[in-house]
Amino acid sequence: MLKLRSSGLSCGVCANFRITIPRCYMNSKTTSSIDVKPKVPLYLRPPSFSASLSELTKWHKWAKNLASSVGSSFINLDNGPDSTLLRRELNWLLQDLIELQHRLVILSRLESGNNENPDVSVALRAPLEEMYCVWRQRIEKRRPFQYVVGCEHWRDLVLSVQEGVLIPRPETEVIIDLVEGVALNNAPELAQSFWADLGTGSGAIAIATARALATHARGDACGRVIATDLSPVAVAVATSNVQRYGLQDVVEVRKGSWFEPLKDVQGKLAGVLSNPPYIPSGDISGLQAEVGQHEPILALDGGISGTNDLLHLIDGVASMLKPGGFFAFETNGEQQCKFLVEYIENEKPGSFRDMNIVSDFAGIQRFLSQLPQPGMEVYNLKLPIKSARCPWSNNDEVHVVEYEGLTSITVRREIFSFKLSTISCRRLNPLSFSTLAPVLQTRAEDD
Amino acid sequence: MATAAMGGGFMNQIMRSNTVSLVGKAAAPPWPWPLKGFQLYCCSNTNNNNSNTYLTLKDEELMRQCELNTFKASGPGGQHRNKRESAVRLKHLPTGIIAQAVEDRSQHMNRASALARLRTLIALKVRNPVSLESYSPPPELLQILPRNSTHRRSDSGPQIGPNNPKFILGMQALLDLIFAVDGSISDAAKLLGMSTGALSRLILSDDSLWKAVNKLRASKGMKPLK
Repeated sequence: MLKLRSSGLSCGVCANFRITIPRCYMNSKTTSSIDVKPKVPLYLRPPSFSASLSELTKWHKWAKNLASSVGSSFINLDNGPDSTLLRRELNWLLQDLIELQHRLVILSRLESGNNENPDVSVALRAPLEEMYCVWRQRIEKRRPFQYVVGCEHWRDLVLSVQEGVLIPRPETEVIIDLVEGVALNNAPELAQSFWADLGTGSGAIAIATARALATHARGDACGRVIATDLSPVAVAVATSNVQRYGLQDVVEVRKGSWFEPLKDVQGKLAGVLSNPPYIPSGDISGLQAEVGQHEPILALDGGISGTNDLLHLIDGVASMLKPGGFFAFETNGEQQCKFLVEYIENEKPGSFRDMNIVSDFAGIQRFLSQLPQPGMEVYNLKLPIKSARCPWSNNDEVHVVEYEGLTSITVRREIFSFKLSTISCRRLNPLSFSTLAPVLQTRAEDD
Repeated sequence: MATAAMGGGFMNQIMRSNTVSLVGKAAAPPWPWPLKGFQLYCCSNTNNNNSNTYLTLKDEELMRQCELNTFKASGPGGQHRNKRESAVRLKHLPTGIIAQAVEDRSQHMNRASALARLRTLIALKVRNPVSLESYSPPPELLQILPRNSTHRRSDSGPQIGPNNPKFILGMQALLDLIFAVDGSISDAAKLLGMSTGALSRLILSDDSLWKAVNKLRASKGMKPLK
């Protein structure tokens, strides 16, 4: 039988749950630890521990009372969680702790306070002492629940997270809706190219995007995702999440800052996605304790106005995307979205197409994105520019325009621009470029 | 074995506790049809958009008929927050039925749960007219009937239970019939080619179905099924 101590448990008891002092994160920009071993989340550990039902009930009562004792004090302090939310988290903790086979039975036993068979043994994924310890950390140290259980449920994924990695937010789930609903549905060919998730953290956006690409890809030509992050912990955790979903051939995690590790795919990306740090530095100290004292400042602090990294992304993204490409960045809200749109209009005229501001599920204007351009594909054809002639050149609807060494031929609503040996084709009607290209090529050779 | 002794009854309790957050109320529905306290939505006959089709819609199509609400975050949200504000509330605009889900751990999954609940609520609350003369049970109803029903044909397949997502389609058709015969289980059983006892057992197999039938019977001054 386990001896349960309801007080005086030091955190040293639980070796698996080191508390990292928040101050560490302040230095995370300069730390360079290489070998980071990702922790195994609670729900994936083997159920090699056990406790009697009465011991578990005792712990559950204690934990529930601790949660209830919070009342609304955290809300008043820093808009943190209230008792209701903490008790919901306690249920989730139990779900992860108890082995699947008997989970429902045990959980309802705990809820109903049924006293039958108190000696029955329950298989657990961690010792009960550790549960006393981590629930204390949750309430007293305000350690985020997701770090306590080592995972976060996000869309249909369960992602490992740990100290040093930003916990993916429900708001960010919308980015994947944009990838699917806006980008891939309008321009399915984007599903076959390279995508990038910058500052990937746990790998959430990269993994969900890879799965969306697989759903939308035609044939076996599935796109790939490159995920970058500056933090070695994030790189290690994202890599392990990618492996857990069996996507190691589709998602590549690279260590480095923003576009730096992406030199080889410059101008080739079909989509660029990011949830960069966007909180204004002045707001960091007022964040709820779970965020401000435990999550990596590197992933939160966006400089004085919060837009340092977003501006860096805007500056770099145009040269990274291939023609017709898509991007979506998460922002702090309406103010930042408007500021960035103005910045693009004033500082980057001509670099971007239709900008789109998208609200999150709470109605806050959260995402800035560039709509994809359907049918924009780049073909490499051996085609001498001057000799190119369109087979419909006697048609009124055909226009041949030449300027600065660039030839653009408009066929009805189709635009071909010729530049060196590359043809960009914007296809707006069903007429397929692939049927046009050989004709053009033949004509070019005839001449 | 203690766990065996705790058996299915606990499953039922969980199912019940999950339905606590089910909300079914009308915010000025276009065709309210109150029936002695039991809130009911009925499709007008002139409307070609037969309510029966709601449940045959694909998820995306049903979603398009809904207003999606999430609980407004107080404050800036996003990276500022760790509050798991992933609750979802769906309002089905044609009927005004509201379904919500809060207990899942992601926004995405709560949306799926809310949609599944909305389907159940539509089955429970939206009634279609049934012609009792020349009544023959529709295929979706045959699917949930036990083998010994004389109406079941060889192509009706095995009986599907409440855990099968297709169950609610049959449940809706069964409720349509029970409403049409004013709550009489024996009349409904006759039309379905089965014994009254067998139909009672089928109704009792699903909590929400059982409650809906008893509400109707109570409104007619009949004894509840037990």
